[in-house]
Amino acid sequence: MPQSPTYNPVLSGNPQSATARSYPNGNPTLGYNPAGARNTDSAVPLHRKEAVIHDYASDGPAPGNLAFRWTYGSNVAAKNRDPRVQVVQYNEDTFVLRQNVCVHWEAPFTYLLFGNEGALLIDSGATADAELYPLRKTVDAIITRWGQARGRNAVPLTVALTSGEDVAQNQGLVQFAGRPDTTIVPRPLGAMKGFYGLAANWPAGLGRIDLGDRAIEVLPTPGTHRDGVSFYDPYCDFLFTGDLLFPGKINISHDGDFVASLERLKAFAATKPVKWILGGHIEMMFVPGKYYARFATYKPYERVLEMEPSLINEALQYGREVQGKDMMLIRPDFALFNGVSPDARTQVWPEGVPNINAPRPF
Amino acid sequence: MDRRTFLAYNAAVAVPLSGAGLASFASAASAATGGMPIDFKSNLPAVGSFPKKWICGSPSCMDNIDPPVQVHWYNPHTAILRQNKAYSYEAPFAPLYFGNDRVLLLDEGFVQLRSDWDLRAVVDQCIDEWCSRNGRDPASLELLVAFSHLHADHYAAVNQFADRPDTRYMGLTHDEMVGFWGMTNFPEERVTLDLGGREILIWGSPGHVVSEFAYYDSYTQILYTGDMFYRGRCYISFWEPWFDSMKRLIDFCDTHPVTHVMGCHVEISNAGEDYAYGMTWQPDEAPVEMTVQQLREAFEYAKMITEPGIYFTGTVFLCNQTRGTTTIDTNPYRYS
Repeated sequence: MPQSPTYNPVLSGNPQSATARSYPNGNPTLGYNPAGARNTDSAVPLHRKEAVIHDYASDGPAPGNLAFRWTYGSNVAAKNRDPRVQVVQYNEDTFVLRQNVCVHWEAPFTYLLFGNEGALLIDSGATADAELYPLRKTVDAIITRWGQARGRNAVPLTVALTSGEDVAQNQGLVQFAGRPDTTIVPRPLGAMKGFYGLAANWPAGLGRIDLGDRAIEVLPTPGTHRDGVSFYDPYCDFLFTGDLLFPGKINISHDGDFVASLERLKAFAATKPVKWILGGHIEMMFVPGKYYARFATYKPYERVLEMEPSLINEALQYGREVQGKDMMLIRPDFALFNGVSPDARTQVWPEGVPNINAPRPF
Repeated sequence: MDRRTFLAYNAAVAVPLSGAGLASFASAASAATGGMPIDFKSNLPAVGSFPKKWICGSPSCMDNIDPPVQVHWYNPHTAILRQNKAYSYEAPFAPLYFGNDRVLLLDEGFVQLRSDWDLRAVVDQCIDEWCSRNGRDPASLELLVAFSHLHADHYAAVNQFADRPDTRYMGLTHDEMVGFWGMTNFPEERVTLDLGGREILIWGSPGHVVSEFAYYDSYTQILYTGDMFYRGRCYISFWEPWFDSMKRLIDFCDTHPVTHVMGCHVEISNAGEDYAYGMTWQPDEAPVEMTVQQLREAFEYAKMITEPGIYFTGTVFLCNQTRGTTTIDTNPYRYS
């Protein structure tokens, strides 16, 4: 019986989500030698004479994969034995770290990016105590291994926050105090603006952190925090949006700023390729519009971290809808809380969205 | 959990139960009773004490090394259990009342399985200790497992007792609960449960939920008010039934001596600050016990309430029909 000449991915496995791989066994139509191969340094040379100069130019987003499920806590948090810091390498120069939800319920994400002249740590977790949350130790070990692979002894580190005031992201900062060859972006709003050269044009301007052939752009995005910023990585084409836009309960702290920041984010994304938006937390479940309660330490039905860039438009549309009103509003991938308790509830369910209750955890 | 750790686990939870304070109970009680029936009706109220501070969580849940259940002996014949906050944020309190023939456990905790949280082993340990102090055979005592009301944080562990001999426990419907106490006129009817010389008075207390009881122990004279009145956010689902239940509590206090009013949870600090729903670390937690005066003040306050909303009586938050819309705390980062 003749085989169909057309490869049908559905016959080889089902896509798990909008952002998961649609071709679990590879897509033969893309060819065997994609241009992205040059973004990985070969392991073949035995002894390198000098430091590797990595090629951070890429056609489209640099290759990479968030290939693993995030740890999601335990029914009994006291018995959880997952790593305190979960490390997932996206590609050789990009790492995603997550705090164990049984150490702190916020379970924030922290991102570590490398360039030819240094590394950037975006955010620092919700726990200061290095015994409970050894972020510094983990970051140091990753930097050491990366430096060995690239033949670099010195890797200057910059630590920046998506919000200096956010206690779910600034607590780990103290672990980096006094670390050699380290620049910590100052936390006070005025000093932070000065650091990024945004004193005169906040929030309209753009800052920049150049890691060496990988220049991270800094966009002022106040709205959930008065000192909120987002970061754009032109190598992976990621937007790191912290608390401004993430798959969870977005607590709007100033609705005018929130809408204006999303407008700027939309305009920015129109001029740059964006593969994914990566926020600071996950609070949504994988059923649309449902989320975990605050302080939950067991989240077995968590949504994936990554968001499609089209969600900027959706957030903007519904951000305008709640502007000027004390209300909460549920969307499939996030919920907006404007002027109400972070524990507010609503009887209003979004039209056209299936209303599915996830099973009880026990 | 394999068999080996399971056995070791039972031994481990036993450690916090045999505190130094119990040694004096043991000698005094054994000497006093020597296996003879205990008199629960003289020299009332039986003296007892609450701890100065309960175990109240930890900054990191996975680093919590406190016992899964804190057992506090209020007096030699009364234990109060509390679930560890790192095992469930609900961390309810659960009184365990001993009589000459029966033991009554009121409420449990918010974990189902023995492998996760072995409430039954802790209860058995308490019964064994009480029996050894009083020269009794644990097999001679019937255990009654009941709960204040029909919410899972109060009944989740109930099936841990399914294969325990000489044990009866309440079903999970209003019908079965009312039937368990032999009531035909809930909530007004007040029944007397005899634990063997120790009487527990039970009547209906709807308002937080339909299916709730108040329990009065005539020996310690503790009035246990469940979730309809406790040191935290009293989520009032049905205002009129709740108000009537409060009136019944006040009427009872007018006619009976009450030493303490005790609820199932604590969600408030000594300074009167709200510990938000779900928190697992309450470092400055208020006591679980309240006075009759505090109950009366709350009732006086409630008389003035005409609208749904959140009200602070000075002791508790009365969340009148707000659970489905809002709660107390606010976004700390709000700016203008």
